[in-house]
Amino acid sequence: MRNAIDVIRETDRKEVRRYLGYYGKKADAAIEEQIGFCLEEMCTAAEPGAVFRRCGLVLCEDGRIQITALPEDRVQGILMETASKSLARNLQGCCGAYLMAVTLGQGPDLVVRRAAVLSPGKMVICQAAGAAMTEAWCDEVNREIREEASRLGFGCRPRFSPGYGDLPLTLQKDFERALEMKKEIGISLTDSLLMVPTKSVTAIIGLTREDTDCDLKGCESCSSAEGCSYKRT
Amino acid sequence: MNLLDKLGKEWLFCDGGMGTILQAKGLAGGELPETWNLKRPQDILDLHCAYLEAGADIFNTNTFGANALKYPDDLEEIVRSAVRLAKEARVRTGREDAFIALDIGPTGKLLEPMGDLPFERAVELFGEVVRYGASEGADLVLIETMSDGYEAKAAVLAAKENCSLPVLVTTIFDSRGKLLTGGTVDSTVAMLEGLKADALGVNCGLGPEQMYPIVKRLTETASVPVIVNPNAGLPRSENGRTVYDVGPEEFSDWMVKLASLGIQVAGGCCGTTPEHIRRTIEKVSKLPFKRPVPKKRTIVTSFSRAVEIGPKPVIIGERINPTGKKKFKEALRRKDIEYILSEGLRQEDAGAHILDVNVGLPEIDEPEMMESVVTKLQSVTDLPLQIDTSDPAAMERGMRLYNGKPMVNSVNGKRESIEAVMPLVAKYGGVLVGLALDEEGIPDTAEGRIRAAEKIYAAAEEYGIPREDIVIDGLAMTISSDTGSAVTTLETLRRIRDDFGGHTILGVSNISFGLPRREIINSHFLTMAMTQGLSCAIINPGNEAMMQSYRAFLALQGMDENCMGYIEAYAGTSAPAPSGRTSAPGAPAVKSAGEGAMGLSESIERGMTGSAEAATRAALQGRDPLDIINEDLIPALDRVGQGFEKGTVFLPQLLMSAEAAKAAFEVIKESMAGTAREVKGRIILATVRGDIHDIGKNIVKVMLENYGYDIIDLGKDVAPETIVETAIRENIRLVGLSALMTTTVVSMEETIKLLREKKPDTLVVVGGAVMTQEYADAIGADCYAKDAMASVRYADSVFGA
Repeated sequence: MRNAIDVIRETDRKEVRRYLGYYGKKADAAIEEQIGFCLEEMCTAAEPGAVFRRCGLVLCEDGRIQITALPEDRVQGILMETASKSLARNLQGCCGAYLMAVTLGQGPDLVVRRAAVLSPGKMVICQAAGAAMTEAWCDEVNREIREEASRLGFGCRPRFSPGYGDLPLTLQKDFERALEMKKEIGISLTDSLLMVPTKSVTAIIGLTREDTDCDLKGCESCSSAEGCSYKRT
Repeated sequence: MNLLDKLGKEWLFCDGGMGTILQAKGLAGGELPETWNLKRPQDILDLHCAYLEAGADIFNTNTFGANALKYPDDLEEIVRSAVRLAKEARVRTGREDAFIALDIGPTGKLLEPMGDLPFERAVELFGEVVRYGASEGADLVLIETMSDGYEAKAAVLAAKENCSLPVLVTTIFDSRGKLLTGGTVDSTVAMLEGLKADALGVNCGLGPEQMYPIVKRLTETASVPVIVNPNAGLPRSENGRTVYDVGPEEFSDWMVKLASLGIQVAGGCCGTTPEHIRRTIEKVSKLPFKRPVPKKRTIVTSFSRAVEIGPKPVIIGERINPTGKKKFKEALRRKDIEYILSEGLRQEDAGAHILDVNVGLPEIDEPEMMESVVTKLQSVTDLPLQIDTSDPAAMERGMRLYNGKPMVNSVNGKRESIEAVMPLVAKYGGVLVGLALDEEGIPDTAEGRIRAAEKIYAAAEEYGIPREDIVIDGLAMTISSDTGSAVTTLETLRRIRDDFGGHTILGVSNISFGLPRREIINSHFLTMAMTQGLSCAIINPGNEAMMQSYRAFLALQGMDENCMGYIEAYAGTSAPAPSGRTSAPGAPAVKSAGEGAMGLSESIERGMTGSAEAATRAALQGRDPLDIINEDLIPALDRVGQGFEKGTVFLPQLLMSAEAAKAAFEVIKESMAGTAREVKGRIILATVRGDIHDIGKNIVKVMLENYGYDIIDLGKDVAPETIVETAIRENIRLVGLSALMTTTVVSMEETIKLLREKKPDTLVVVGGAVMTQEYADAIGADCYAKDAMASVRYADSVFGA
């Protein structure tokens, strides 16, 4: 895996502008300059972390999905269970799954909180920069997972997170336990199941016996998404 | 035998891994290990016996995860049975000399303000476990695997307040030597020693090899015994399976290296077994034992940063203080925490090392305000704080909730003051400012002040506060009433340094009270004081003359390596920068060549704060303030707002314009001296319960303020009751609610329902990422605002503006 800081330093400015609502339009020079400053400050503050784990998958007849420990794991059992229809579609035909969690660490949250006090304009740019950096870091971790999966002879579906479709946030509790998120990379959950640091993502990646991977950026960017029966909705 | 008779005087050994061994014995995923105390007591007993037979002196009860969050129904039984099993193991192995450690791990929740577990709730949770464990017969409390210093503090307080057993604390550092919440070895040691932990150290996270630099630093900084309990190497994923593969031989060889650094207690954590511990004991107990040595350093800390006082002087920012500041007093009365935070951040940017926090006003609840300001400041700055108050209740609240080891201002030589303040410092830890005065008042000779200082040093010893945690205030009194006063102060500083090896502090600018051009006197006095040993200068770091004195002193005194600090501050500058603020540091530094000459309207439209202020000042020379507002300011804001609504101006631009307009308003407000701008209406804003996202709400706040609304900002994660109570108390016509998550829209609905019931004439506007018109209708809101401008338009329609 590439160095996390290098990865987030190369975050695409286009993505930052997209989060700010520019949708492909160029920002004026002063704002562009600010985007540069904010990306730099957020990168300096970031301490990215990632953890992932390969798991078993049981797709039950009644629609339940079980993600389980592998037979060789120290602790056996079901890691999470859900009846989510959206996830079921995403995992159709899969024979295993990865669980992943990534974070930029608490530093970027501090930068955003400080900006909120001194400059709301800077706050939204930092916020957008953080979102784009998190996605870039997710992509890199996802790439690493695909490489490992491919060595083991699996292809990967696009990643799927709690909160997408009907996949409930309550699954965050299972991610927390299965990946030891707090101990490993410092992600805590609030009672309302939000992650702290806020620049964090959890996801499930389905494994198939097919030798081709889905588009890393997800179905939205995939040229074959039209008519694909696994399409993420 | 009490543990304290041996701790730090001879080798002691802890046991090793528990969770990893229970897993090997079949603990299932999701199964709580502590349930085995009741379900499979024999396995727990066997494990204890194996460690005792291997020679461990201190062994842990199976209570790592035991707290009322995980065991709401049977916590007492779980904890008591754990201690009973430990006692039984001791009898069974004939190891009556071994000590039972009541094991306390983290709650699993993150404390406020970053997370949602209130500090006092954490203290309660730990306290409950301590009470059960201590009354059942544990010999000590071992707080371990803490990745957040704040949570460790809560646990130590809980232990100290609920039992009289020795308290040992180990934290989990990563390979960069940091806690998850950013704390360093230095900051953690200072805080835990301040809280009077009997020993401290490191466990888990790393193997002995990776721990080496951390253990080295621990032995260099800690004055109490150091505990080292590593994992059996770094966890390695083997085909998706976690393995620890440093065996007993290799592990114990590494423990010899760590022990040689001068630790006092050794054991193991995840992946280690009785064999790891047996081999470690065999090898390490042969090494010569070194007792811990007091380090005598004066350290204050935040959650992540340690600031050492002396030999290099430090700057303490004085601006968070209402004395003589009308605007600040007003902010305190209005509970405008944002304003206070911005004063803090500006001082940090200007070069302060510590921030003084004084929020005392006769008409406010000072303890509550102290709590609020200390916790919120600590969520935006990592500078240590100086809790400055004459109210012991406010002082205790501030110190208790403080995340780190604070500076405390102040005590003096009067018995009454000593008895009120020193017990607090003895309990919570802190570097205490001692004013060199006593029952007889302020001595007018250095000799008299030294006598008062001696009283303070003696009292500190009486209370068990280390001498290095006292900083003496030599008392700067104006030379305008006594021309000899500076000489007296300087002589006091010199004698504290030379005769006592102590540290000193001054509120520097008091020296010039009543004189013209005070900064001339102040900046020279600062230099003179530093040459006489001044360790802490309480000044306004935004005052350039003072910072020039400070930086020049460091460069001249050989305290600024290669003059880098000086060069960084002044290279490329030609003349002294004007004092006073021209633009908020940290604010968008958007500057262009012609900025100074730009008109007000253009400055606002382009979002240039500095030039908007300058243009406003220029305009005020010849025009009526209200005309400026109505003819320039509001129309410019409107143009940007309309552009935003049409999609030609984007959010960052809108906000920067709002910032520039806000700055212009501030300038006008100052000039109008009291005659406040007309307020269109008062609005409550809040992010609803369960939701910690407040960015959207903050954006709306800025915009509404600019359009003349007075905002009561209740913050994030706000309970429906709080919103409704405030609406009733303040008779509010419009409430704005924000929610980012589908899951928290429920709280929004609840809030609206309660509001309808208790205060039906209040209107509700809602917004947030997941909000739609349909959603808003479904939960009974009066308006859905798709963005900040829509909120402004709605408010205008409500208040008929």
